[in-house]
Amino acid sequence: MKDNVLATIQDLRIDVRVTRRIRLRIVDTASLTIQKGQLLGLIGESGSGKTMLCRALVGTLNRRGAYIESGSIDFEGIDLVKAKKKDWRNIRGHKIGYIPQSALAGPNPVMRIGAQLAEAINQSGKKPSDEVRRRALELLELVQIRRPEVVLKQYPYELSGGMKQRVMIACAIAQNPKLIVADEPTTGLDVTVQAEIMELLRSIRKEFDTSIILVSHDLQLINSVCDDIVVMHAGATIEKVPSSKVTAALHPYTHALYDSRIDLVEPRGKLRTIKGQPPSVGKWPTGCRFADRCDFVKDVCRTTDPTPFAQVNENQWSACIRHKEIYGGAK
Amino acid sequence: MIKRIRDYAALPGGFGIIVGVSMFLSITVIGFARPIFIPYAPDELVGDGLAAPSWQHPFGLDQLGRDMLSRVLAAVPADIGVAFLGVSIPLFIGTLIGILLAFAKNKVFLSLVGSIIDGINAFPLLIIAIAMVTFLGPGLFNVVIILALMNWARYARIARTRAQIVLRENYVEAARLMGYPRRKIIFKHVTPNVSSETLAYALSDFILVIVIISGLSFLGLGARPPAAEWGSMIADGRVFLGEAWWITVFPGLALCWSAISISLIVEGLSRRDRAS
Amino acid sequence: MKLKLNTPLGRKIFGRTIRAFSISFWVMVIAFALMRVTPGDPASARLGAGAEEEAIEALREQLGLNVNPFQQFINYIRDLSQGDLGTSLVSGLPVGEIISKTFPLTLTYIAFSFFFAFLISIPIGVLIGWSNKASWVYSFRTFTSVVIATPNFFIAMVAILFFSVQRDWAPVFGYEPGFPGNMKYLWLPIAINTLILVSIISRVLLASVIDTRSEEFVETGIIRGVSRIRFFWFYILKPSLAPTIVLMSYMAGTMLGATVILETIFSLPGIGRELVGAVLASDYPVVQGILIFFGVITVFLSFFGDLFAYLLDRRVKL
Repeated sequence: MKDNVLATIQDLRIDVRVTRRIRLRIVDTASLTIQKGQLLGLIGESGSGKTMLCRALVGTLNRRGAYIESGSIDFEGIDLVKAKKKDWRNIRGHKIGYIPQSALAGPNPVMRIGAQLAEAINQSGKKPSDEVRRRALELLELVQIRRPEVVLKQYPYELSGGMKQRVMIACAIAQNPKLIVADEPTTGLDVTVQAEIMELLRSIRKEFDTSIILVSHDLQLINSVCDDIVVMHAGATIEKVPSSKVTAALHPYTHALYDSRIDLVEPRGKLRTIKGQPPSVGKWPTGCRFADRCDFVKDVCRTTDPTPFAQVNENQWSACIRHKEIYGGAK
Repeated sequence: MIKRIRDYAALPGGFGIIVGVSMFLSITVIGFARPIFIPYAPDELVGDGLAAPSWQHPFGLDQLGRDMLSRVLAAVPADIGVAFLGVSIPLFIGTLIGILLAFAKNKVFLSLVGSIIDGINAFPLLIIAIAMVTFLGPGLFNVVIILALMNWARYARIARTRAQIVLRENYVEAARLMGYPRRKIIFKHVTPNVSSETLAYALSDFILVIVIISGLSFLGLGARPPAAEWGSMIADGRVFLGEAWWITVFPGLALCWSAISISLIVEGLSRRDRAS
Repeated sequence: MKLKLNTPLGRKIFGRTIRAFSISFWVMVIAFALMRVTPGDPASARLGAGAEEEAIEALREQLGLNVNPFQQFINYIRDLSQGDLGTSLVSGLPVGEIISKTFPLTLTYIAFSFFFAFLISIPIGVLIGWSNKASWVYSFRTFTSVVIATPNFFIAMVAILFFSVQRDWAPVFGYEPGFPGNMKYLWLPIAINTLILVSIISRVLLASVIDTRSEEFVETGIIRGVSRIRFFWFYILKPSLAPTIVLMSYMAGTMLGATVILETIFSLPGIGRELVGAVLASDYPVVQGILIFFGVITVFLSFFGDLFAYLLDRRVKL
């Protein structure tokens, strides 16, 4: 089982420089493992640190004044936290692909699609141009774009949102990476397009045995596509659960997220929401950060730091110290 | 009061705005209050020509022996006053025309006025102002007329664009569909929105207009002697630059002081906009 | 490249061309109207109060003011379409000839100013913008806003005080044509123009680089690991350049306005000084001709600026 692991994130803490002196912790003890060929869902509300976690995986934290304070990211035996610029050159694109958040602003507006694909295919700039072109057409067909010869010559503004995101996926898989990080890849797309993109990601995973980390704030979506789900709340990973067992989750927050799904509402019934707001970044309370919003809160929750989450059974982790009390110990 | 100013200064861009406003107020107040504390009239001959700055005449005397401090301050109504007119009149006319254009339905009228606006805006403002002096003759009053005739087009373009955007806004669309009278829509939604935009432009336009007024006078096409005006004083000092730099430098500094005070306000406001 | 009119790009460019020509037409209309709608009779104004009736009538005929306004307009457009801008009342030379004699000098130093300004603005705008350090950005913005607010003639006077009066580095009289001798007279006006242009251009470039910096596609560029040169061009400069190009083409018109003052100060026999001279001498045909020339140049500069910006970055509205 152990040799099947592709990447492990261990107790990651990420800080951001606000001013010269003030630092803000935006990710505090995040841990997860991803297996080869696994489709892992990462879910959390905005501000939970999921995007920063993705950026740590592709090494672009310092662009926004953030850096890894402590922890490790092991990717096939390389510690990405200590990776130098030169190392990144071999990792990005070749081993880790990235699909950006907003489909609309993802492709470079001043380059033709063909040029962008060529960049992704031919990072070293040494491949002959007809080979690059053949590969570009192949990739566009792979992501099910019709009339690829035409699209190659087009600029992003001539494409629809779904098309743009397909192109971004094509760029991400250009080098057959082992891991694809998709940061909310369907934001701003129609529901039908969203489903198509998800289907595409799934088929890519199947065909190339690529691992995919899919980030979203939509539990329903993640639950329907992914193998495993990792839940983030206030900068910490608080639960890992197989998607088939999401109803038997072991953290009140996961349950709360699941119960607030809109399709559970009966006609004219009341929508269930999570009370209160997530604690704002940098003002996290000691103890459990979900305590103020939790229905099962007790004094002990406010004093014991539950992070990092603990393994409960073979494939389930939880950061709730009272999960046995509340859920009676999962099977 | 002091605490409120200090709080305002702490906001993004607040410091620049406060410095700009106080610089502008100080020169206008001192300029208009000049007769109270300067014993010399701006066109009074008080000593030898080209006398250097001294305690009695801190800015020195000009080529005819007039007190430069008095003249520099006497030019405030000419420069800032004329610039105020040269901005506020086009601001009013342009905003009005722009809003009307956004509502107008007559195609011929629309394209006619639109073309005139584009045509006027095609000329650099200083060039068309210079050309108009040929037909109207020099003088500060004519400068105001020229600015009123030529500068409104820039405001009208901004106002029209803005008004069209506002009219497409959902809440205005809703008000229209609900059958609100047109007048009410114009006054409640369109005018405030548009005028905040044109006012912002007016502020930066003020700098340009001051430069145009003094530039025209510098060329001998604006204020006529013996009127005190910064641009024409700088032109007077040109010949004596070697022996009497003060004739050129002090009016120039006053000009910079006014223009920079406004630009600090503009800069501060835009910084505040970006912060929010 | 062959331009096809039935493509969306071709249609856009065609539409914009039509617009440029129609604005040019209106430029001519306005230049025509200015002389006719202003109060008073230009002919009697020029000759003064004591002029004889016959002299005024003769001048009216020379200016073409002796027929009805509609006929005047027809004649005016007919002459313009034949490239005839009229004849100077002072020198008797055709206005077209006056322009073609004086404009090259003006064009020379404006072109130099733009060239240097562009060269200097790019590293400044990109470096400060890409660093996005608040302290750098705001001190730079404050400095440039001071330069922009200072009238160019005052900058020129201070420069003359330092370089011409105290040291004899930049003569302000007696321009001699011919390269490289003329550079002795031109370097200071070029330097002043460049300073002002850099302040304006680099501000805009800085702002768009800051905008570009936070775009999502830059992230993908970094992750894709493109080479440094490609990244600089395709991910920083090219996406940020369009507003700068549009502004530069617009500034060209403003710079033409500024030449009037600089040429007067430095006694350069360019088109700006010609205009001032014509205004002071009430030489209407010359004033009108130069006005049309400036207007049409500005229209087409902004046309080419928009077009170039659009070809560089399709997000630009044409």
